[in-house]
Amino acid sequence: MNARLARWLTSLYPPMWRARYGDEFTAFLENQPTTLPAILNVIGSALLEQLRASGDFHMNARQRTLVLMAFAYLAAVAAGMNFYWTVNDTPLAAVMRSHTELSASFRAVAFGSVAAFAVVIAIALPITTSIAVDAIKGRRWRTLGRIAVPFAAAFIVLIWLVVGTIVTGRHWVATPWDVTGDWPAPAEWPPLAIRWTMGSVTFALLVCALAASAVAASQVIRESDFSRYRAVWFRSASLALAVSVAVMTVGVAGWGWFAQQYAAGDFHARNGGLFNSTNVFSWAASCLVFTAASVMALLSVRNQWSHA
Amino acid sequence: MPRSSRRVVSPDADSDPGHYSDPPLLVLASLADGAKHGHAMLLDIQEMCGTRLGPGTLYGAITRLERDGLIEPLAADDRRQPYRLTAEGRRVLRARLATLYQFARAGLRKLEA
Repeated sequence: MNARLARWLTSLYPPMWRARYGDEFTAFLENQPTTLPAILNVIGSALLEQLRASGDFHMNARQRTLVLMAFAYLAAVAAGMNFYWTVNDTPLAAVMRSHTELSASFRAVAFGSVAAFAVVIAIALPITTSIAVDAIKGRRWRTLGRIAVPFAAAFIVLIWLVVGTIVTGRHWVATPWDVTGDWPAPAEWPPLAIRWTMGSVTFALLVCALAASAVAASQVIRESDFSRYRAVWFRSASLALAVSVAVMTVGVAGWGWFAQQYAAGDFHARNGGLFNSTNVFSWAASCLVFTAASVMALLSVRNQWSHA
Repeated sequence: MPRSSRRVVSPDADSDPGHYSDPPLLVLASLADGAKHGHAMLLDIQEMCGTRLGPGTLYGAITRLERDGLIEPLAADDRRQPYRLTAEGRRVLRARLATLYQFARAGLRKLEA
């Protein structure tokens, strides 16, 4: 691994961890081969260390609340994306049109996602702007770089998807929900091996993008002072996000229950699940991640209200 | 993009029985015969049980073991940091390996019965 990449990967860890292990870990990484699994492993481990550090006493209540909110939102994004792509363009989408309960559950998830996005924008926009302005004034370029990580990550995924679509003939989007192997794909789609390879790359990019965004957000929050903001703002935002994520979680769970009632055959088919898994498996994965997001969002509420 | 609901035949299950993976225990076992730095631990663990730990996983285990007082750092060799077992680490390793040994023997007895 080259020194620059090793230093960047080390920088994803929490400051306290870096102070103890940073130098030796960078030297260790320089001795390791540059492979995608190794890079993903380090990013995942850095995220875990950030999560562990978020429970320590070196953060105040507001910083902990914001870190938990950021993690909850990103987990909800991952779960929501998986749910949407599992259902999109499958016979289940057609079934939804004829069953009010199914479409109502789906709309609840959509409503929750819009509400969660609005909450995140409402809280992130002023905070991020203020941190960025301070960072520019103080010439803290590393902070600015961390703020840019989620945008850069989303941009890279988008570029990959656009280029992949163009290169493969503009008829197929390289998502891991569209690899499929059990039915004759349209003639204009690329061969199965290419769909699996490109879908896997997209999945790896999405995981990296979400993990890197979580780590970067956590680092920026940890380095910032939020004492100038009013407590009621944090309490309201954490509560609103928790309610939004809970609505999505209940919506997805209810949607699965109704799908089992009205379209069990399509629900158990392999035509939209992640990496050609059954739709029900993919749905269950979304439920699990949504539940984790709900727990984190509720912890952020408890943390903020118990320290208010 | 159109999709259909025709089912696929599942590929055959992977016959690979898998490798043993308990990173903290593997690190402790690797240090049982003397101090090692990270890269030497990775190679040793791979040789012991075929498991190639990821770089982040290895240092996650080192972090936890040092925090729990089961391993300790020695003086750095250039930029590489060697670690060794503490007395407590040696005791914990012995106890865990003994448990695993009993478990393996019991499992094998059942298979042969």
